[in-house]
Amino acid sequence: MKLDRALEDTVQAEAELATRLRVVADRHAVEHDLHHLGHSLARQCGEHLERLAPFADRYGASVGADGVDDSPGVVERIRRKGAQLVGRSEGAGMLLLRDLRDLYLAAHEAELSWLILGLAAHAVRDRELLEVTADCREQVEVRGRWVRTRIKEVAPQVLATSS
Amino acid sequence: MTDRIADVWGARTPYRAGSGWPRRVDQHVEDGVPEAEVRWFPSACVLCSNGCGMDIAVHQGRMVGVRGRATDRVNHGRLGPKGLFGWQANNSADRLVEPLVRRNGRLERASWEEAMQLVVERSRRVLAEQGPLGMAFYTSGQLFLEDYYTLSLVARGGIGTPHLDGNTRLCTSTAEFALAETFGSDGAPGSLTDIDQCDTLFMIGHNMAETHTVLWARVLDRLQGGDRPRLVVVDPRPTTAAREADVHLAIRNGTNAALLNGIQHELIVQDRVDHAFVEEHTVGFETLRRQVREYPPERVAEICGVRAEDVVEAARILGSGQRLVSTCLQGVYQSHQATASACQVNNINLLRGMIGRPGCTVFQMNGQPTAQNTRETGANGSFPGMRNWQNPEHVEELARIWNVDPLQLSSWAPPTHAMQILRYAEQGSVRFLWVIGTNPAVSLPELPRIRSILAQERLFVVVSDAFLTETTQLADVVLPVALWGEKTGTYTNHDRTVHLSEKAVDPPGRARSDMEILLDYAQRLGLTDRDGAPLVAWRSPEECFDAFKEMTRGRPCDYSGLSYRRLRGAGGIQWPVTDERPSGTERLYADHEFNTRTDRCQDYGHDLGTGAAYERKDRAELGPDGRAILKAVRYVPPHEAPDEDHPFLLTTGRNVYHWHTRTKTGRAPQLEAAAPDVWVELSVPDAARLGIAEGDLVLVASSRGALQAKARLSGIREGVVFVPMHYGSCSEGDESEPAGHARAANELTITDWDPVSKQPVLKVAAVRIERLADGGAAPAPAPTTAAPGPRGEAVPSTSGGPGARATVEDET
Ligand code: SF4
Repeated sequence: MKLDRALEDTVQAEAELATRLRVVADRHAVEHDLHHLGHSLARQCGEHLERLAPFADRYGASVGADGVDDSPGVVERIRRKGAQLVGRSEGAGMLLLRDLRDLYLAAHEAELSWLILGLAAHAVRDRELLEVTADCREQVEVRGRWVRTRIKEVAPQVLATSS
Repeated sequence: MTDRIADVWGARTPYRAGSGWPRRVDQHVEDGVPEAEVRWFPSACVLCSNGCGMDIAVHQGRMVGVRGRATDRVNHGRLGPKGLFGWQANNSADRLVEPLVRRNGRLERASWEEAMQLVVERSRRVLAEQGPLGMAFYTSGQLFLEDYYTLSLVARGGIGTPHLDGNTRLCTSTAEFALAETFGSDGAPGSLTDIDQCDTLFMIGHNMAETHTVLWARVLDRLQGGDRPRLVVVDPRPTTAAREADVHLAIRNGTNAALLNGIQHELIVQDRVDHAFVEEHTVGFETLRRQVREYPPERVAEICGVRAEDVVEAARILGSGQRLVSTCLQGVYQSHQATASACQVNNINLLRGMIGRPGCTVFQMNGQPTAQNTRETGANGSFPGMRNWQNPEHVEELARIWNVDPLQLSSWAPPTHAMQILRYAEQGSVRFLWVIGTNPAVSLPELPRIRSILAQERLFVVVSDAFLTETTQLADVVLPVALWGEKTGTYTNHDRTVHLSEKAVDPPGRARSDMEILLDYAQRLGLTDRDGAPLVAWRSPEECFDAFKEMTRGRPCDYSGLSYRRLRGAGGIQWPVTDERPSGTERLYADHEFNTRTDRCQDYGHDLGTGAAYERKDRAELGPDGRAILKAVRYVPPHEAPDEDHPFLLTTGRNVYHWHTRTKTGRAPQLEAAAPDVWVELSVPDAARLGIAEGDLVLVASSRGALQAKARLSGIREGVVFVPMHYGSCSEGDESEPAGHARAANELTITDWDPVSKQPVLKVAAVRIERLADGGAAPAPAPTTAAPGPRGEAVPSTSGGPGARATVEDET
């Protein structure tokens, strides 16, 4: 049984996504919706990891839940300040679009990990783990959808105007 | 003669369910005008979304007064203080009568020719350099349908920009989105006559007694009519409605979603659900049931800061009535989790099976008089005619009607919302912004930022207005416009009632109607349809209306059976009006068939937490097929919570005597005198702790900005402070000089908006309060009527004096 791998993958993907969400939220703090939602979705990743924690013991996975604490550290504060400075510069749009693309891929990476974990949980008849994956499914799916919606708004504006 | 400043709602005319609201004609005409020489022009009030039918009195070419129309279905003759006195703004001496252009940093008089040349030249340059996405338009909720529709065609069909929005985004876009989420399309399901029939009323975040005075008079008459409907009110302030309520839940602002989940939890636990209705006419009940299970009364009490028993009792009242009318407004729309909460209000009526029948409905109220029309014409978040931007057939149909290439329509994303337009201007991709009839330099959140955006050199700002405002100070070109009463056109109120307003007097000086200005602009810019003919084919408002009504044929807001001729003397007609239903439609969804089908719906819906847009396949998979959608949501805490530095929760809002940023009501002496300056409401215990007495000057500061105001000690919830949103940095009558200190509520607010409706969050922010100076025993300049009513100390009552008298004529 290699459920530990599936668990580790999921934990890693969620942690990675949380980090990226926070980077985007702070680097693009002048996009106020990204700022607020980025941070709340990052917090949600933390909640997901907490729900997975009990299964780490069960399957002997090593899951350090680092990267999900949400106190704004020095780095975030610097990023946020930087955001205000680059907010009016011409390159901000391209940077935003690139960051959203990366975020979209990270959201899908995480979604896929959850899917795989859910399938494995079913296969080993772990009802509790299956429940967790089912409970989190909607939240896990909506993140990519959200970024996709945001990309639809941003991309034409960035690419079809001259700044 | 009644003093209608002191007696806001006038004398009572009580009535029982089903017996019809008695008529009473309210009138105010300038002293000394000979009645026999007055000519009356039919119209409707444009100072709130109730849209009371009124006639405009004209003497020797001058507007001299108004009277309510007895035969109008909306108000049965009544008018409130704003309606009775607000018209005087038209006559004020400081109306803009000539175009202004900025020369060497100063606004100077110019001819129309010169001003329009400048606007067109700059449009051409931005179009050449930035393309259509460099162009943006930001309009108001107070123009006429014909103005908006012309704008919508020019911006969306002609220029091809998605950047067209209205300030209705600030006031009622949550109504539009919540209705579309639940019922598939915008449009109030019910009718004002449902107030006449109901036995239970639920008002959440709707300070009806102040925002819609005539509607509140209708409710008061029911409350005193012998078969009193039961009333549940949710509001952190002791509003007039709250004082009449059976249960008043003075929740912590920002917690609506938790409370509404709690009420639904109780409806389910107490088994007050109409299971047959829910089974047959809704989808989503199972998910909703699972979600609200997490909100037992004790938890809700904890989150919202109310008593658990009161939550249970509120649910018992809402759950035991036979005819329930629910209403909500800014306390929901401008608060945290806005669309999500508004949908929960819809849910309550659906769980009870109370919709589409007499006395049973939910009102997602509007604020501005013509907000409904910005939404219908495509100037606020949707495509014209409540078409779905994601549905290629809808887009193609619109292109066919406009005779433009479908590619011309920006259908890759939802129409851009106001805050995003400002963001694009900030970041430099939008370089041309035309502001029409609104004052964003006061009404948008985080003012210092807004001002710095509008002041940028690279952004060309055109402002159409009737007065100089904080925003015209930042304009490159200012265009003088005709106001209500000076042009002909139509508008629609919050129960879908359409009125025609006739031109009663000429606009002053060289002012023109917004539609005329846009026609001129389209022509100068050479906008054409795909056959090379002029894009805008109409010249008069009536021709525009006829084009608009064809555009709506078959859509939920179907005007096809209406015409100016039908509207004349009709007393208001409710859409849809079709050949089959020539006299209009009192209630939508009487057959419980909702507009949720994939090919019909205005929107495929959103994830309420993030605003992620669902797509066609998601809607098809959900398969509501004409059933209403019960949306579930989890409560999450607001983005800004009080802390040690900023221990108070701020909420902002409206007062009964004023409208928006007072551009009009500040010029009506009776209204201005009743509420002349900003104040801040504090609870008595909080004030005692801070050593603040009535009338003391205090500082209110958030982490973004600060204002100074006199303190009113009121019955507001402890820990919460209220600042009215009407006061800008200008003192009325002298817009060139900012008042001595900042007093706009938006100096304090956070830049944050609802993920779905994109309505800014103006009702939740953390602030600190500091006493600055003694008030010298003079009370705060706040009225004593309605919610700001003082506690504790003796404060002289607000009254209007001889200039505020209105005649009253009872017809029954
Ligand atoms: S209730 Fe509204 S529409 Fe009616 S008179 Fe008052 S402001 Fe005008």
